[in-house]
Amino acid sequence: MTHLCKLVLALLGALALRAAPAQAVCNQATASQADRDLWNTHGCWQAFFLWQYKAYDMSGSDWGGRGWDDACNVNKEYPKHWNAAYLLTYGLQDNNSFSFHGTADYRGTAERWDNAYHDDLYHAPTDDTSIFGSWSYHFFGSNEVDTSCLLYDPNLRPNANPGSRAGDFEHEGWHGWMDKYDWDNGSCGGHRCGPTGNCTAKGCDYFYFHGIGAYAFGAMWENDGTANRFHSPNQVQVEFLCDVADFPQGWVPNSVRLAAQADANQRASQRFINGPGYFCGNPRPW
Amino acid sequence: MRLRSFLIAWLVTVSGLAQNVGEPPGRPKGPPPQTTEPALTRPSELDKARLESKPPSLAVPAASAAQAARAFIDWAGASTVRQREEVRRLIGEARDNASVATAFCDEASRAAVSDHSRALLALSILGEMRSRVGEDCLRKLLHRPLPEKGTLAHGEIVEETALGMLQAKAVDGLAYLHTARGDEEVLWAVAKHPSRIVRAEAIEAYLWNHTDSAEARATLQKYVRADEAIFLDRIRRVPEENAESFNKRLAAFQKAHPETASPPPHRAYRKKRSLPPGDEKPPVR
Repeated sequence: MTHLCKLVLALLGALALRAAPAQAVCNQATASQADRDLWNTHGCWQAFFLWQYKAYDMSGSDWGGRGWDDACNVNKEYPKHWNAAYLLTYGLQDNNSFSFHGTADYRGTAERWDNAYHDDLYHAPTDDTSIFGSWSYHFFGSNEVDTSCLLYDPNLRPNANPGSRAGDFEHEGWHGWMDKYDWDNGSCGGHRCGPTGNCTAKGCDYFYFHGIGAYAFGAMWENDGTANRFHSPNQVQVEFLCDVADFPQGWVPNSVRLAAQADANQRASQRFINGPGYFCGNPRPW
Repeated sequence: MRLRSFLIAWLVTVSGLAQNVGEPPGRPKGPPPQTTEPALTRPSELDKARLESKPPSLAVPAASAAQAARAFIDWAGASTVRQREEVRRLIGEARDNASVATAFCDEASRAAVSDHSRALLALSILGEMRSRVGEDCLRKLLHRPLPEKGTLAHGEIVEETALGMLQAKAVDGLAYLHTARGDEEVLWAVAKHPSRIVRAEAIEAYLWNHTDSAEARATLQKYVRADEAIFLDRIRRVPEENAESFNKRLAAFQKAHPETASPPPHRAYRKKRSLPPGDEKPPVR
């Protein structure tokens, strides 16, 4: 066998391995109450997931063995992904007087298409539990947003709920925004290395405070090159979680809101260098 | 021969780059997601039936308390903002039912390791109950040591964050008791709890439950850590407050705390691929 034949065989083997669906390590047998409660509001709306997989550029080669062929089973990863996308797409009030941003902003950040928020991207799963999610630049083709098992398996706590998962779509999508407009947010996974200032985490951001109504809905992508009109990934995530917790559509279940509020507040207390972000909602237990 | 070696080296390099640098342009798509379930119509058609579901009773004997508490958590989790006052009323009516309070506490413990969202629900209900049993349960949870080992994600121990979030919910319940014993726990948490999540929540809960009074601030100043004093002035975003009022408070906060101003963002040192439409301006004349 010539060297060339060996090489061709090796390349074919590598391509075959790449095309095969990854075997899921993540738990595919259970869902959090927040996921189940949200799920029951749509009862597995097929027209939505048949739109969603295209809108998030998802494929069976990435999500095989994770509910791609069982898309109405809320215990599996792919159905949980589209459950979170459902919350993001329909679950917000979009009230000009109250919401930080609108559905147009959050969808623009999470969905695949090259737009004012980012270049093309696609969504894939990862079993790597050393991250919640990641955004990766690809020289060829779309950039990649990975969401980790930590956002799907409730036994791995506490982010396996639709609000936190959709919040991560925002966070990772915002790294895409940083890339699109050539901003450098730091060398620790796209954040400033911490702990530093008021930030107690390893990856820290600034909070670029802005009032309600400072950004028209659909204008979150705007920046003027200064700290006066800018967002960081953790800030976008916190503002999204606050909008879910405090200004949702009337049908959004309380379990979803409660988990979103808890995530927003822990993140706002720990991840910002220049002081805590907003406290979302009031601390009355119910 | 030399040409063949060069070709092999080139193919190996390109193959490696394709694997490591990114996906090939033609990422395999395959068939769309599938299900064998029958297709439903529109989700909005399910709303009415959901809102009409009757709450499970908490007025039950001790033998049925666990079952009733679990059913109530199911119902309360699925309830909506519109049902908030009804949930509060039902919880209040069960205040003196120690068996039910114990069952909520047990369910919170059980769910803490299997379903964080359910544990948050159970603790919220328990805090809203303002019962003696609930108080003991929340206090024990607040003092549970944080795990020092576990799943490390982005340098954070996930189990530690998870427990911190539950303890923050416990502190909300203790502050809501409006009792000297409850406040004592809250102030202890402000000063000494090892988790910043809990300390931050304790400050907020104490202030809110004391109507953000000057006295409450003065009390907190005795307990709050020097490097966390800014949490006393933190901006709270509540659903009832309109934009004008919130924006005024935010402006006052920023004026009082110039140190919260962010530095200018950094430009990345690489070739720009696109510009925001707002930047497409002619040069200044």
